[in-house]
Amino acid sequence: MTAGDLFLQQAINGLSLGAMYSLLALGFTLVYGIMELINFAHFNVFMVGSMIAMLTLQAFGLSGQQTILTGLPLVGVLLVGFAVSMVGCGLIGVAIERFLLRPLRSVKGPAAMITTIGVSYILFNLVLLTLGTDSKNFPNPLPSISWEIGGAVLRMREVLIWVIALVLMGGLTYFVTYTKLGKAMRATAQDPEAARMMGVEVDQVVMSAFFLGSALAGASGMIFGLYYNLAKVDIGFAAGLRAFTAAVLGGIGNVPGAMLGGVLIGLIESGSGQLIGAAWSDVVIFGILVLVLVFRPAGLLGRLAPNKS
Amino acid sequence: MLTRRNSFKAAAGLAATATLGSARLAHAADKAIKVGLNMSFTGADAESAVRVANGAIMAFDDANATNAIKGYKFEYVKFDDGTATAGQYDPAQAATNARKMVSDKGFVAALGPQMSGAGKAMAPILSEGNLAIITPSSTNPDITNPKFAAQYRPAGKAIYFRTVATDAFQGPNMANFMAKTLKIKSVYILDDSGAYGVGLADAFQGQIEKLNVKVLGRDRLDPKAADYAAVLTKIKALGPDALYYGGVGQAGVKLVKQSYEIIPNVIKAGGDGVYSTDILKGAGFPSFDGWYATQASPHVTEDKAAEVFTTRFFQRFGSHPDDYAVTCYTGAQVIIQAAKNLVAAGKEPTRDAMQAAIQTVSLKGSLIGTVEFDENGDMKNKVISVFQIKKNAAKPLDDTESQFKYIGVAPMA
Repeated sequence: MTAGDLFLQQAINGLSLGAMYSLLALGFTLVYGIMELINFAHFNVFMVGSMIAMLTLQAFGLSGQQTILTGLPLVGVLLVGFAVSMVGCGLIGVAIERFLLRPLRSVKGPAAMITTIGVSYILFNLVLLTLGTDSKNFPNPLPSISWEIGGAVLRMREVLIWVIALVLMGGLTYFVTYTKLGKAMRATAQDPEAARMMGVEVDQVVMSAFFLGSALAGASGMIFGLYYNLAKVDIGFAAGLRAFTAAVLGGIGNVPGAMLGGVLIGLIESGSGQLIGAAWSDVVIFGILVLVLVFRPAGLLGRLAPNKS
Repeated sequence: MLTRRNSFKAAAGLAATATLGSARLAHAADKAIKVGLNMSFTGADAESAVRVANGAIMAFDDANATNAIKGYKFEYVKFDDGTATAGQYDPAQAATNARKMVSDKGFVAALGPQMSGAGKAMAPILSEGNLAIITPSSTNPDITNPKFAAQYRPAGKAIYFRTVATDAFQGPNMANFMAKTLKIKSVYILDDSGAYGVGLADAFQGQIEKLNVKVLGRDRLDPKAADYAAVLTKIKALGPDALYYGGVGQAGVKLVKQSYEIIPNVIKAGGDGVYSTDILKGAGFPSFDGWYATQASPHVTEDKAAEVFTTRFFQRFGSHPDDYAVTCYTGAQVIIQAAKNLVAAGKEPTRDAMQAAIQTVSLKGSLIGTVEFDENGDMKNKVISVFQIKKNAAKPLDDTESQFKYIGVAPMA
């Protein structure tokens, strides 16, 4: 492998990681933009998403051992897998908001944030008690097609992940920019009180943010499974923390910022694994985060929020 | 004068003694020899924990059934050093368990832990309480190394005994095997940042460098991270003949899966942390095929002498024993033998007496040969067995006995 091939290969690795982080980061950013709440339950909504996706694929008779599908059955299985995990996680998000966070909405202080940490552990323990702690083999229906670009290898699953992530992020951007509900979400993010005076249903907006964010977590749970062929109860913490970092790096509350932040964190992670050592990835990631925040406190694409009082 | 809280405790204590007393009436003559079993029943190693603990349970139940020591019955209490948050053994929980055992004078000996990280946390506490423990599988050499006596046995006496060899042999002997038998010329070394993994990888590295094998690099995996593609791509670019991994299943499963994708043609090997059902089930076929692993004990479960044991174990627990179920069974036999020696000499099997008796025990004809300990608690007889994963489709995937093919004994360092 030449240095160029190596660079390309690490960029491919980093972009795949970044696609996953971006989708997860969007969930943090959507909720934060509207409620100024860091939703730590998101970590494990993602993990539950990968479990739902695994059970769905297993329901199609796909076991952990390679069962390669092609053509229409593959597309069908993937579509159903994504649909079930996204809707499932979306509903979990809605339930968390409706039953646990809405009663706290008028409470000032960290009560809501602490609640989300609690919910995160409840989800973790529910999965722990029902499905156990062992590493599970996530069904692997993707044909192992790959292309050689110089000395670097691009696998079909990587392309698939990028395409899915792009489609989902494009869809979200369209939704937020052009639909009525999307505009209401942006209006609420800018100034909830003014939005309410203009007739925006705040409850509906908050619920949509939770649904969308959690559905994206479900999608990235499915992507995680397809990419690593692994589902495990503890995957939420490491991935969630990096995605949260990505959201902050890009500017929390800012949708394009979360996407950019995710891709950057992915690239930094694979770059530092190559250049410095895998053991140092976290140090490098958080070091860069600190540096960026020193010079741009609102993140790369974020603007400092006007004082909402 | 009793404070309110103390009087409550005293009352509770009375009540507890009362219930115990009535329960004991059933076998009034027998005194209890209480043994703690500390394993990682929660987390990645839960399955092997059950198997290993069953080894001990079988030995104690046999002793009780045959009335091996007149007037005494063995009692075992399980302690779990795994936590959900850690996802595997948790040193803090292990320390708590050690404190619980030490503070209950009833415990006169213990078995466990499986993991060296737990052992490092437990050893100093057990030393202060002079409670002897026999580990069936924790192989980090530091714990019994006299150089670290101040840290792991501050009270002086050896309390950490092993029925396995240590990584001081497991790593180097495997290095010999890879250099001499597999004839590798270069290697990349990874560990999982745990006490066991780092120690094993260090010991391996020390020996392989002496054998003129080029070490192309050394890196550390975060067991909670999901993605090892970056470091594996780096390894691919360096093109070593082999990869050696010091660590357990949590990082191991992901490493096995991802290294199959990225570096399929590199020889891959690990220690006894790779010899697990977690690797077999979690990584799955075909990614695990061809991995080498070692066990720090003689391979006995295929021997004729062990056949009876294996059959009885399967009938009793519905699963196959692995080599560490055997070493735990043997550890329990050591405790039984020590207690027997004491009672035969007319002494009470107290905690101090048990420590001394285990130190000087000589258990002959066990499944792993004669068991005797040196002054640090290490076994005098040290054998490292090498295995390779070769998928046996006829047997269940989690049957380590069938999926790991015995290759032979690794040459001594």
